Amino acid sequence: MNWFYFSSPSTFYRFAGRLAPWFFALAALLTAAGLYMGLVVAPTDAQQGEVYRVIFIHVPAAWMSMFLYFVMACYAGLSLTFNTRLSAMMARAIAPTGAMFTFMALWTGAFWGRPTWGTYWAWDARMVSELVLFFLYVGFIALANAFEDPRRGDRAASLLALIGVVNLPIIYFSVQWWNTLHQGSSVKFTGSTMHIAMLQGMLLMAFASWMYAIGATLTRVRSVILERERRTRWVREL
Amino acid sequence: MTHEFYLWMSYGVSAVVVAVEIVGLAMRRRSALRGVEEERDLEAQD
Amino acid sequence: MSGFAWAFARDLRLAWRHPGETLMVVAFFVLVASLFPLGVGAEPQTLRRIGSGVIWVCALLAAFLSLSSLFASDYADGSLEQMALSPHPMAGWATGKIVAHWTATGLPLTILSPLLAMQYGLDAATLGTLAFGLVLGTPLLSLLGAACSALTLGARGGGVLLALLALPLFVPVLIFGAGAADAQASGLSPSPHLSLLAAGLIVGSMALPPAVCAALRIALD
Repeated sequence: MNWFYFSSPSTFYRFAGRLAPWFFALAALLTAAGLYMGLVVAPTDAQQGEVYRVIFIHVPAAWMSMFLYFVMACYAGLSLTFNTRLSAMMARAIAPTGAMFTFMALWTGAFWGRPTWGTYWAWDARMVSELVLFFLYVGFIALANAFEDPRRGDRAASLLALIGVVNLPIIYFSVQWWNTLHQGSSVKFTGSTMHIAMLQGMLLMAFASWMYAIGATLTRVRSVILERERRTRWVREL
Repeated sequence: MTHEFYLWMSYGVSAVVVAVEIVGLAMRRRSALRGVEEERDLEAQD
Repeated sequence: MSGFAWAFARDLRLAWRHPGETLMVVAFFVLVASLFPLGVGAEPQTLRRIGSGVIWVCALLAAFLSLSSLFASDYADGSLEQMALSPHPMAGWATGKIVAHWTATGLPLTILSPLLAMQYGLDAATLGTLAFGLVLGTPLLSLLGAACSALTLGARGGGVLLALLALPLFVPVLIFGAGAADAQASGLSPSPHLSLLAAGLIVGSMALPPAVCAALRIALD
């Protein structure tokens, strides 16, 4: 298979257009299932009561915030290595969704923290590095749009994305390295210490977020392609 | 502040934020298509 | 003469002839650090508690202030392009500029910090940890700041964009630097924080110059 077939903006535009609705549909279904699992099936927590149910948004959002940055950084690396326009456009398309999930993680975290540990915010390692991640997304978007020449913006922002990747292991391992507010992870590859319905709810919501993120990115990249490739024949013939 | 308040603030604002993003996607697509239209008109003038 | 030595000497000579930049950074540092007791109240206990954090934040902001001029003037008059075209490896002279920048900004800040620390009533051990943390941290700030400065050469949005990029990257340095001084003040060992700062400096001095060069090449294309 010719891997570079889809790196042409015109082919990818059509491809993305056909796929995006499926991902949104899948996201809607999984969200419904996940919310049912999380809000109806999962039992009340012994210590935290009902408010623990925030995790069905907070944890998937946090996972997505990190995962999307990683994917964005991969596209950034591809764009700098192969100088392909589409890779840079994909990175630009991911950034706003990534920023949204990061904001969601920070916000829901604050509203989980207040009733559970008494504070909306604490300066623990994970929260601070997640906040830094939010600013990295915003910085990426700002830098990409700060130049007359969009290719210059592509390259500068891609380099920034790669430099900022070092933040991801810090977020991930911060709960192991420092003993502060966040608990250690309850979800590992070898199993989990949570009630099964809670875990299922969280995983369903995580998949739902992932499908949504793909759908949103594909939709957004179509707009980016139209904006950037305005002057080409295939766009004018749309 | 009851626990319901915190749940509503979390789920509610999350829903709002997702809605804002979806609306933003639609608006961006519309403006991109408008840009293509303008480019087409400009070319037709030549 | 190697590219590094040449760039280092050149930038220091320029800073010496036009000391405005250095003096502004130093003045800002001292002024802002002196404003806090006026605003917060001069109660010795409060000052002792917030002292290390305040001095670190002031150092951060002062270091940030001087960043935009690191590459901008050379970029504007074409000397940056000339240096890039020279046979000397870019990493050499770019690092030379960064070290010169630190010598003209971070180093004076570090030297002045004990005076400010005394103003806040910090004891000798805390003062020492603070200064040592700054010795480790300010070069790292210069390195990180140089990468951000190179990325934003010729960008719209100027100083705000630079702040948006640089300040989040500065945050870990601030956390460990101020954390070290606070640990010392509470009687705990500052060595975990200082070790992490040192590790950051080592990794940064190896990984950031190539990033700066990549950013400069993008800017010069």
